Amino acid sequence: MKKSGAAIVIDALCRNGADTVFGYPGGAVLPIYDELYKNAHRINHVLCAHEQNAAHAADGFARVSGKPGVVIATSGPGATNLVTGIANAYLDSVPLVAITGNVAVPLLGRDSFQEVDITGITQEIVKHNFAVSDIKDLNGILDAAFQIASSGRPGPVLVDIPKSIQTDMCDESEYTSQELFFNSLPEVDLSETLRLIESAERPLIYSGGGVVSSGASDELLALAKRISAPVTFSMMGLTALPANEPLNLGMCGMHGTASSAKMFTECDLIIALGVRFSDRATGNTAKYKEGKKIIHVDIDHAEINKNTAADVELCGEVKAVLQQLLQKLPRIAHPEWEKACAKAKKLDFHPVSDQLNPVNLLKTVASYCTPDTVIATDVGQHQMWTMQYFPFQTPRTLLTSGGLGTMGFGLGAAIGGCIANDRKPTVLFTGDGSFGMCLQELATAVSQNLPLTIVIFNNGVLGMVRQWQTMFYDKHYSHTTLNRKTDFAALARAFGAKGKKITRLVELERALFNPPADTPLVLDCQLDMDEFVLPMIPPGGSVSDLITQRN
Amino acid sequence: MERFIVELTVANHCGVLNRITGLYAKRKYNIDSLTVHETRDPALSVMRIVSCGDTAIQQQMTRQLRKLFDVKTVVLLNNSTL
Repeated sequence: MKKSGAAIVIDALCRNGADTVFGYPGGAVLPIYDELYKNAHRINHVLCAHEQNAAHAADGFARVSGKPGVVIATSGPGATNLVTGIANAYLDSVPLVAITGNVAVPLLGRDSFQEVDITGITQEIVKHNFAVSDIKDLNGILDAAFQIASSGRPGPVLVDIPKSIQTDMCDESEYTSQELFFNSLPEVDLSETLRLIESAERPLIYSGGGVVSSGASDELLALAKRISAPVTFSMMGLTALPANEPLNLGMCGMHGTASSAKMFTECDLIIALGVRFSDRATGNTAKYKEGKKIIHVDIDHAEINKNTAADVELCGEVKAVLQQLLQKLPRIAHPEWEKACAKAKKLDFHPVSDQLNPVNLLKTVASYCTPDTVIATDVGQHQMWTMQYFPFQTPRTLLTSGGLGTMGFGLGAAIGGCIANDRKPTVLFTGDGSFGMCLQELATAVSQNLPLTIVIFNNGVLGMVRQWQTMFYDKHYSHTTLNRKTDFAALARAFGAKGKKITRLVELERALFNPPADTPLVLDCQLDMDEFVLPMIPPGGSVSDLITQRN
Repeated sequence: MERFIVELTVANHCGVLNRITGLYAKRKYNIDSLTVHETRDPALSVMRIVSCGDTAIQQQMTRQLRKLFDVKTVVLLNNSTL
């Protein structure tokens, strides 16, 4: 039986487990949207307000569910609006399948209305992309797109489908399969790893997104306990262990905890698991390795030795490598090192007060959350405070833009994450700057009746840039004071959500006590514009340059 | 800095050369010379790319190239392998 290209798309989505997709219709995807109309019983399409946010929603959905997120957009501006969302997923290794329409094949290459070369534009920010030129290839390409997005190191894949191919008809017997060359991984040899671990006296684990995406939390904790190694995290890895686990030192790097900086200074072996030694995590790479050995485990062979040279490289899925390692690794106790870890953790103590400040705000919201509450953030000071003070308990509960640092990521991601988490109450921590970049998506949170609590850290400034201007640019506050008159509570009501201005901690408690079950709630929290994110390792510095207090 | 050659067997369809040279540009490595030709199997092409770089750069480039789904094989030819 012959099927249209659009019907092939729908069947491929269903076959690959995509029961929820995010998107925005337009001229070049009309045939696909017509099939979505007929297949509403099989696929839930979430209509967003902007394609960028739709991409972030698919990204958030993928981070929570572990399945590839799917976003659909039309040609031209629809496709270009996806670019930031695709780049965001690429930098954070999130499985994403982006489907774009394009003009009909005879119109390609003629600067037709709403035509862009989206495969060319996205080439450097996707794991792979396809421009479909023959309907016979469409089915195989879509299967390959899902396989590439979710296998190995996950990432985004874009499939560009001209409108004429969506309406062409093709019989299953004519389908082709895609010949792609999947990179085979080198053999894992554990002998040198075992020797290094056995000879180390002060081992430290540096754990990242690869531990979360491969579901290796149990193996991580087993390894840490087996060899008395405290664990410090990249931002992408932060949820792998519960915050109250004694060996958990929290995040490392530029705004990492003082305890992780202290233990990092003293360690003699770094066991790096599913990380890429980002400059935000390492600081000055020349000083980073001094006096330390590094064992680097990663599924992406090109990540090993890219930013920091490893003494031992183990290329493979973190979970599988750790399982092999744990079979061979004896218990090696370092009681003095564990004591040093407990002592270092006292450095992370935060004084208690009744002020509405970032610490109290986060701790108060946390007290109303359950271990599986999905937390999304935007980018800036509020994001770093969330990493420092929010007590994460469960993997895949944190949606944050790590590699790309995308202001405006949070609301779309929170929508996708909430839907993936059975529409349970979800929290977005954002700033007045970040929220201003995506707030039209409140419309979607309302139309989907989502129980989102949106907590705005409203300090009237672009706080993180202002902090740098204070510290490194002689307090030249160039274009970081917003001078806006936005009433976020009134804005929320205009969108059909609930909104409240919060000036005191007790008002926050009251607002969180009984939030609406099927409507977003915007809490506009008034904060001081000169709160700093501390500790901080200045850009290009090393842990020895750690700033812990304002002077 | 040593001169080295990367010999690639790649899929023979439009856009593949762009992906390879785009990767060099993205990683900020220069191409000194480049040859491409179809093989006896019309589905495959061979590319030889000459660049300069130390062993760390050579390793990084070959590993990045192996990740591309249009690249079947990557062979590094340098002073120690030639």
